[in-house]
Amino acid sequence: MASGTASESAAELKLFGMWASSYTHRVQLALKLKGLEFEYVEEDLANKSPSLLLYNPVHKKVPVLLHAGRALAESVVILQYVDETWEQNPIMPRDPYERAVVRFWCHFCDDKLAPAVGTVFRSTGEEQKVAVGEVHRNLDLLERELREGHFMGRRFFGGDTVGLLDIVVGCGSYWLSVFEEVAEVKLVDPTTFPLFHSWLRDFEAQEAVREIIPPAGRLLEYARGIRHYLLSLAPSQHDAAAAAAAAPGDANDGGGTGAGVDGANVAASTGTGEEDKKDC
Amino acid sequence: MAATTEVPDKGVVLLDFWPSMFGIRVRIALAEKGVEYEYREEDLANKSPALLRLNPVHKKIPVLVHDGRPVCESIIIVHYIDETWAGPGRPAFLPSDPYARARARFWADFVDKKIYDIGARLWRTKGETQQQAKQEFVEAMKLLEEELGDKPYFGGDNFGYMDIALVAFSCWFHTYETHANISMEAEFPKLMAWVKRCQARESVSKSLPDPLKILEFVGVLKKKHGIE
Repeated sequence: MASGTASESAAELKLFGMWASSYTHRVQLALKLKGLEFEYVEEDLANKSPSLLLYNPVHKKVPVLLHAGRALAESVVILQYVDETWEQNPIMPRDPYERAVVRFWCHFCDDKLAPAVGTVFRSTGEEQKVAVGEVHRNLDLLERELREGHFMGRRFFGGDTVGLLDIVVGCGSYWLSVFEEVAEVKLVDPTTFPLFHSWLRDFEAQEAVREIIPPAGRLLEYARGIRHYLLSLAPSQHDAAAAAAAAPGDANDGGGTGAGVDGANVAASTGTGEEDKKDC
Repeated sequence: MAATTEVPDKGVVLLDFWPSMFGIRVRIALAEKGVEYEYREEDLANKSPALLRLNPVHKKIPVLVHDGRPVCESIIIVHYIDETWAGPGRPAFLPSDPYARARARFWADFVDKKIYDIGARLWRTKGETQQQAKQEFVEAMKLLEEELGDKPYFGGDNFGYMDIALVAFSCWFHTYETHANISMEAEFPKLMAWVKRCQARESVSKSLPDPLKILEFVGVLKKKHGIE
């Protein structure tokens, strides 16, 4: 596939997404950083379009990127495709070890951090307390990498500029403050996670990011609606609804509750990491 | 043992566990590239200080240590091996075309999301849960068989990334089919022909444990945990 220029891509790029989906935002941000024009199609996840089902028959989820008629799914796969197809403003490092580190933390974000945040949002009482602890543990791991590990001294995970890992962790982290307010918990204490906090602030101050992320008010309203609905259900209904609103991998698989909330996913997923097979 | 607390500054070490399909992926990848390495068997009931230090986030195998630096998560390790030991004379796991690369990554991700968890439920559970797992297993395998189609390998003419991602599970197929009470050969002939084709490669045949040993291993695990 030859490198495209921005003017060629206008006719060739189409993104199927959902306005509140952080996985969709990741792709929008990457395309924006690359200076690429694209057509955007908003999906109603309670009523998926035939196109979406055609282009992502395996997972039936957003985002899906169509480039010159060929469909790509799974946000991190799409991000790497965009980076490899359009070489301006690279978002992945060149060095194989650096690339492995980026991929590791992307997977950590989607496999550990996001599900824990989702559980905080979906739950109350003891279950929520446990989930909050999990979120803090995960944030602490990232904080440590920023403080004394691989990302020490960097403004962004990508260095001086926003890179793929910033996009992956950043698009979704705005939910943290939303969920803090809606679920009435403290997730990112600036005194406990100073570097993560300042990284997030710097990320959200980027012009491209400001243009992509929906206004906080709109996100709050959306999240409040879903949480209110989930908490109003009886426990057995709640589990079913939460599961329907949840799905592994890329987000916002609607089901009966309407669009699921990003981070409120992966109820059933047991993760895709390595297994040491110690447990039965 | 002093050896298990340290890793050398130079060279390649693999922390692994013999039946792990994730570890097998890495063994195949290293063999394909002709990389010499030290294999270290981990006792997962008693993880080495090296493992805990090198993979502090997950504390899991496989971990590839290259010149003292750890790389974790099998599919990431395969990617790393492909990018590090590249160039003339070495096979490339991923093609150069970005779309073909995206397809390979998508399907490897599919294997990661589905096969391990579903497979585990096949032998760890009984009754309704197991039936559900069987259904999901058949669905997943069908999709993989469709994706393979009539190609010799998932990547086309050449053995590559996605083939490595899935063929590592092939020694577990006998365990899965025994518990699901199906015949992989009968249900997924193209896939099983592909398995045979892959096993004709020395990198694969030398890296896959005997399927009967895997079944035996699972039997021991089940007994230990009072399953069945």
